[in-house]
Amino acid sequence: MVLINLTGIQPTGYTLLADDALPKEGENVAVSVERLLGENSAFFNTAGSVGAIVATGTAFNDLDTIADKLAFAVIEFPAFGDGRGFSLAVRLRKDFGFKGEIRATGPVIPDQALFLLRAGFDTVEVAAERQQAFEAALSRFPGFYQSDFGGQTSIAHTRHTIEGHRKAS
Amino acid sequence: MYAYDTYDHAMVNARVAEFRDQVDRRMKGELTEEEFRPLRLMNGLYLQLHAYMLRVAIPYGTLSANQMRKLAHIARKYDKGYGHFTTRQNIQYNWPKLSETPNILQELADVEMHAIQTSGNCIRNVTTDQFAGAAADEVADPRPYAELIRQWSTFHPEFSFLPRKFKIAITGAAEDRAAVKWHDIGLVLKHNDAGEVGFEVLAGGGMGRTPVIAKSMRDFLPISDMLSYLEAMLRVYNEQGRRDNKYKARIKILVDAMGIEEYTRQVNAEWEKIRHVPIDVPDEEVARIKAFFAPPPLAVSADDVAEVTELANANFIFKAWLSNNTGAHKVPGHAHVTISLKPHGGIPGDASDEQMDLVADLADAYSQSEIRVSHEQNLILPHVAKKDLPALWAKLDAAGLGTPNAGLLTDIIACPGLDYCSLANTRSIPIAQTITERFDDLKRLMDIGPLKIKISGCINSCGHHHAGHIGILGVDRRGDENYQLLLGGSGAEDASKAAILGPGFDEHGIVDAVEKVVAVYLGEREDDETFLNAYRRLGPDVFKEAVYGTD
Repeated sequence: MVLINLTGIQPTGYTLLADDALPKEGENVAVSVERLLGENSAFFNTAGSVGAIVATGTAFNDLDTIADKLAFAVIEFPAFGDGRGFSLAVRLRKDFGFKGEIRATGPVIPDQALFLLRAGFDTVEVAAERQQAFEAALSRFPGFYQSDFGGQTSIAHTRHTIEGHRKAS
Repeated sequence: MYAYDTYDHAMVNARVAEFRDQVDRRMKGELTEEEFRPLRLMNGLYLQLHAYMLRVAIPYGTLSANQMRKLAHIARKYDKGYGHFTTRQNIQYNWPKLSETPNILQELADVEMHAIQTSGNCIRNVTTDQFAGAAADEVADPRPYAELIRQWSTFHPEFSFLPRKFKIAITGAAEDRAAVKWHDIGLVLKHNDAGEVGFEVLAGGGMGRTPVIAKSMRDFLPISDMLSYLEAMLRVYNEQGRRDNKYKARIKILVDAMGIEEYTRQVNAEWEKIRHVPIDVPDEEVARIKAFFAPPPLAVSADDVAEVTELANANFIFKAWLSNNTGAHKVPGHAHVTISLKPHGGIPGDASDEQMDLVADLADAYSQSEIRVSHEQNLILPHVAKKDLPALWAKLDAAGLGTPNAGLLTDIIACPGLDYCSLANTRSIPIAQTITERFDDLKRLMDIGPLKIKISGCINSCGHHHAGHIGILGVDRRGDENYQLLLGGSGAEDASKAAILGPGFDEHGIVDAVEKVVAVYLGEREDDETFLNAYRRLGPDVFKEAVYGTD
């Protein structure tokens, strides 16, 4: 597997914590949302940084109590067509003001690279043989009709800036 | 009509380049069919029974004459000389070669067309009233809002991998010609008490194996809030719509499960959080798009035109065409004209390359170079001066495009069925052909009056049988094609679900049964009662008796 960096963020190195294991002092760990919901402040204080492993079936409300304690989030796509992962990333950015790394894992496809970036993902774990296709897909479109979490302004808005107006005509 | 600027051009050209690369990788064997499938489906390319099928978007059914010429050219150069206009106001080509599809998409891009989001679990082509911008009974032209939705929904970062496909329809008139209540979201343009224009918002309609009529969730939504409200509606659906069973994945199932009140509550709660984020486009953008749909410069003239009346008095067929295929225009002295793609014995919705070229020429000559496609699979010239009607009719009639049956029994919607479709259980086209041959008598059709027959070759309901005054559903019965008869459906503002009358028939029996149903109606109707009203008054029993006997 290789990590595609969509936004240029500094990716987090972490340990996937086993079900009954506790973090070592200062260790970066990733834990399921279900488990994090039951953990107390001691857990968060011991670990270096804590990330949530977020299944796409997670209700966004469940992130409410833990979002501000998270350093990063890993959204697991069980299938590339499970678009709930996109809404979860949007919710993290939009509803919880989450600034940390959002990573996508699972069988996402290269043609989703820009969708992931625009929904708020920073990084995506992909099979090494797909790296090239992923990177090619990232530079495919010059603009989109929606303002997004990758920092792009919608075509609908840029059309009406002075620069955009000049370009459109 | 909307015209692309450099941004729109760049978007579709980038898409063509992307698809060319994907097809190239597939042809070289770098992608397996399994890997290629989701990619081609994002470009409207299906693998059907005999060949690939390419579905090209005709946004809200609006075409220019030049775009129609391009569709004719594609039919001639890349296909077998014809195309099929669909119930979603799109066109399908049944025989493209995979290796040539990128070139087809490039030719389309050259005339500001594409196949983006004509398949896949995303927001599909937004559909609307085929008479938009022309109909006399219109509150407001829905096309600027359809274009706004087209742009907002194109490659949406969050809503391109929904639980299932998603269809939005808009109507701007009280008479619903866009079947909005049968859509995932229906928008009805209206005025509020203050005289402002906005939408009634409906959600959760759909056909398929579980037909549901959409429910109203908001009586009035200001136009400036349209996109943020749609975003809230889609977000709740994307998060909570079922993904475990594709037959239960449409929004109608979610809305039924949680109740329209709860769905509305969650949507409203989300909307309150996002309505001030710049999802909705700036006012200048709305104005820019609206300007493309400014009413054409039609000169007001008298509605009574002597040469039209004279020809109508002399020629019954022209008189019938005038009465059935033309309708009241906003501008006096004009009409919108429906070009029937339902010749008796023909294939509903099919048009040859020559016919498409002719329609393009006629649009240039008589209709401000504008053409529409209706969800009933006909073509429309929206802006025709009444004085031109005799000449226009003569040219259409000579090309087999003058069938005066719009809205009558032989104006049948039919899905492609087992002649093309890999999902079908039965053929649909031959049933439509046999019915139209059986009723090939204009006086009889005029006497029967408005009657919509809709035929689907499987439960996916692409032929809208649930909304047929008479619906026909093909099912597989132990290896035989069997046709169920349904009565009493409506796709209009008085939407209703058709009900199965009784046991199904073979392909001959179903046509006989339709004839018996019509005979009952003619015998029982009161005054000028339509078929649908008569059925609603009489109920199914009298029809059941006639079709199945009394034992």
